[in-house]
Amino acid sequence: MKKLDIRLLRMIKHSKGQFISVVVIVAVALLIYMLFNVTSINIRSAVDNYYALTNLNDIHIQLVKIPKGALSELLTIEGVKTVQGRVSFDVPLQVENKDERVNIRLISIPPDEEKINILYRLSGKRAKLGIDNAFLLEQFAKARNIGPGDKLSPKINGRVHELSVSGIAASSEFIYLMENEQAIMPVPEKFGVAFVSEEFAQSVSGYGGSYNELLVIVEDESKMDDVIDRLEKKLDKYGVKRMIERKDQLSHNVLIQKMDGVEKMATILPVMFLSVGAIIISIMLSRIVQNDRMAIGVLKALGYSNLSIMSHYTKYVLAIGMIGSFIGITGGLLLAGPFSQLFAVYFNIPLIRIGIYYGFIISALILTSVFCILSGLIGARSVLRIMPADSMRPEAPKSGKRILLERIVFLWRRVAFSWKMVIRNIMRNKRRFAFLVLGLALAYAINTVPLFEAEAFTDIFELQFGQYQKMDYTIEFSRPMNKQVIKDLSHLIDASIMEPELKFPFELKNGWREKTTGVIGLPRSTRLYEFRNSQDVKVTLPEKGFFITEALSKTLQVKKGDRITIKNFVPGKDDIVITVSDVIKQYLGANAYMDIEAMQELLADQQMITGVSMKSQDEVKEKLKDVYNISAVNSVADMKNSFMEYLDTMYVAIVFYLVFGGILGFAIIYNATIIGIAERNMEFASLRVMGFDKKDIFRMVNRENFVMTFIAILVGMPIGLGMINGIINAFSTDIITFPKIIAPSIFINAAAATIFFVVIAQLAARRKIYTMNFIDALKSRIS
Amino acid sequence: MQQVLMKVENVSKSYQMGEVSVNALQNADFELYEGEFVVILGPSGSGKSTLLNIMGGMDLPTEGRILVKDEEITGYNDRKLTAYRREKVGFVFQFYNLMANLTARENVELATEICKGALNIDDVMAEVGLGDRKDYFPSQMSGGEQQRVAIARAVAKNPLLLLCDEPTGALDFQTGILILELLHKINKTFNKTVVIITHNMAIGDMGDRVIKMRSGKIVEIKVNQNPIPPERIEW
Ligand SMILES: Nc1ncnc2c1ncn2[C@@H]1O[C@H](COP(=O)(O)OP(=O)(O)OP(=O)(O)O)[C@@H](O)[C@H]1O
Ligand SMILES: [Mg+2]
Repeated sequence: MKKLDIRLLRMIKHSKGQFISVVVIVAVALLIYMLFNVTSINIRSAVDNYYALTNLNDIHIQLVKIPKGALSELLTIEGVKTVQGRVSFDVPLQVENKDERVNIRLISIPPDEEKINILYRLSGKRAKLGIDNAFLLEQFAKARNIGPGDKLSPKINGRVHELSVSGIAASSEFIYLMENEQAIMPVPEKFGVAFVSEEFAQSVSGYGGSYNELLVIVEDESKMDDVIDRLEKKLDKYGVKRMIERKDQLSHNVLIQKMDGVEKMATILPVMFLSVGAIIISIMLSRIVQNDRMAIGVLKALGYSNLSIMSHYTKYVLAIGMIGSFIGITGGLLLAGPFSQLFAVYFNIPLIRIGIYYGFIISALILTSVFCILSGLIGARSVLRIMPADSMRPEAPKSGKRILLERIVFLWRRVAFSWKMVIRNIMRNKRRFAFLVLGLALAYAINTVPLFEAEAFTDIFELQFGQYQKMDYTIEFSRPMNKQVIKDLSHLIDASIMEPELKFPFELKNGWREKTTGVIGLPRSTRLYEFRNSQDVKVTLPEKGFFITEALSKTLQVKKGDRITIKNFVPGKDDIVITVSDVIKQYLGANAYMDIEAMQELLADQQMITGVSMKSQDEVKEKLKDVYNISAVNSVADMKNSFMEYLDTMYVAIVFYLVFGGILGFAIIYNATIIGIAERNMEFASLRVMGFDKKDIFRMVNRENFVMTFIAILVGMPIGLGMINGIINAFSTDIITFPKIIAPSIFINAAAATIFFVVIAQLAARRKIYTMNFIDALKSRIS
Repeated sequence: MQQVLMKVENVSKSYQMGEVSVNALQNADFELYEGEFVVILGPSGSGKSTLLNIMGGMDLPTEGRILVKDEEITGYNDRKLTAYRREKVGFVFQFYNLMANLTARENVELATEICKGALNIDDVMAEVGLGDRKDYFPSQMSGGEQQRVAIARAVAKNPLLLLCDEPTGALDFQTGILILELLHKINKTFNKTVVIITHNMAIGDMGDRVIKMRSGKIVEIKVNQNPIPPERIEW
């Protein structure tokens, strides 16, 4: 082996701790990169595969009623490949616990094999569906522990029916099982789907011989818009309520957003890690080069070229990069399999093929190479400035300058001697200090993100259901009613406030931008809803015009005072143009609000309501459980409970991030300390000779790191804030808008986490100080 | 007549230090013959190291030329200068300057593995009296032993020219004499041209010629008709 390489190996062996800590950073960066990207690709391809296998619909149409016979006519529409009709409606399910409210969606499937949205992995052999049996969706069956042979008791129009479960199935339409857009997360034990025969569905729902939903497969996905236009025209007379393209389909949409999130993290985290790694590497290397000044002079005197000396030092970085990327990539690939499986199970996606994606290996290697070579060159570039004649000269005395603070004499005099040393030392190498502070600030900023998320989720819930919506229950009717029903309800239930609601999905349009959303009509004097505009000023519903949420205003690109079109699906009603009176805050879901009377007049029918919201301490669920025409009773308390459970799973992610930030903080402080010690060997040795003991020196180093951490936390705050704002923008969806409420506790807790890892790094570095041989330091002249 | 190895023609070196320029070396002009032992003598700051560095291709003069066997090295670019140092010159430094994390033998190999026509390392190590210390690290050796390694490192390349900047500067009298004996032996047995720098007048007596310097100038070049062997030097 080349003697220079031997020297390199011994150098690495000598600074094991430093070397390993940087290798860990590179390895973690690449592990995250590989793991997240490969998992995301695996899931995406599994999902696509699953969609193809089960022939998931391209368009999902909800309409008032369409006779079976009209379907064949639709097939003649240009671009339509297949059409399948079905009856779908949500009903309460009777369960053992009388207080528990469980809803189930009954969906009819064709008597012969389904052509679209084919059920998957139907357990056992396929039983024939009749009027007394059903297939049950897997997630729901699992969550409620229902198996084949068990009985389901849906309550349809006030009558309890009995269906026996003949099989359990998965459906690509419900990968992510959510009741509606307003749900924050899936609650599979509260909402399920059962597939029943057309015969049964039509007979119990009053849709005899017709459907209320259509599933469409198009010939060519790129011509989707044209097909939708043609379908819309054709179906107008059947009262189209909603046309949902696949990209807007609830389960698909959430899934894609999750994957997008994973992929964003797959880039952001590794780049941050590698940046911090590069900072440490370049500082470490320039320290080594500086220390090796004379050795480099000797090498040059011996006739080694600049290139071979540079590559000697760059190999150090290369070794870090190679070992780190090997561990990271292999680890990432190994973990990607189980991780993808885990995701697949979580999302209930069957058939996961785990691929090896060479592209990612290559881009991971390119990414590492760029960072390593860059930091290597930055760190080793001073090799070029060293002259061979330097080998002859004793070490150049370090330039000692007075620092600014010293000029402010009366202040400087007040500083204790040990602090003077600390401050001088920091000022001695300002640029390096700045780099280290930056790296530590990044580590700190990473810590703020998960803390913000945890905080935000709690805030979202408390704002939405504490301040913006004050009701205890919302009741949805199975069909629109006259507002007189409120009187009937108030006889039944003891409620302090009871208000009518009118809610319909409409398509809002601004130019080519469009969005289907629930428009909610409320009494203008509502006491259950509070509206606050973007400036956080309380506003009340206008007589004319309407409110939209911030999320909607972003999607539609409209602001206060703009006019937009509401497309009306209700047969016999015209589209209307309406003014946006204000943009309001809403964190869960994205709705539009207007005066209920105006809405009845413009978009629906006089006196029509679709639900009621109320404030009540009464046994609402119990009292309403047998009431005719009620499809759902939602209790805010129930939602709160399931939300809290969901938060628990988030804590795992938070711990993950804190550990990531911690690894970075540790590596920075550990390396900075070791480098600092090595550099000031002579100085410390002299101090030791003067009678300072180990503890004094350790305390001095401690103080420097403390100052560094303190400044890094200050610098990290705006960086964290920036990252949080990035999260707010990047991860806010139609379903959740992150509030821009940033509690000080986030920054305090992140600081605590950072300090914790700094302390650990200090303790690890302490050994080096305690075992330092100061006699050697005084003797040696060259490394 | 002796063969000319190196011609130093009117070489000057000045350093620009802000406003003022320091003339470290002024109009040095002499020839170096093959196989001779030359001592450069002068007080601290007189320009000895500056001259030696320029001769060894470690630094470039501001004026003048240096010819090695009729080839001008002062016109070399960085790459050629590096090759010159690698193949033609051996350096010995006052503070030995060994690589701390390489053993004695590895330190020597560090120099030989990049040049052609190197001597057998074990022979050279035996020659400098370190046959049994080959696997020691510098920190395990005394100053004198380290300087022997440094000399072995310079000699093993089989250079045309051995340049030593105060090789005894960091050593006691006894050890210094031993090192000088070694250099003397190498000069005689391998017929290598040796140039050593010193500010110790007594050492001048062992050189075939003595170049005396003061404030950047060569003030005298003295030819010793009868150089005395190092073991008879006293100071
Ligand atoms: N890099 C430099 N920049 C500025 N001046 C320099 C530089 N190197 C040397 N000098 C100056 O050149 C002059 C000659 O220096 P040189 O090192 O050649 O002296 P020397 O004779 O070797 O002294 P010593 O016996 O102390 O080693 C000195 O005045 C020194 O200050
Ligand atoms: Mg000198």
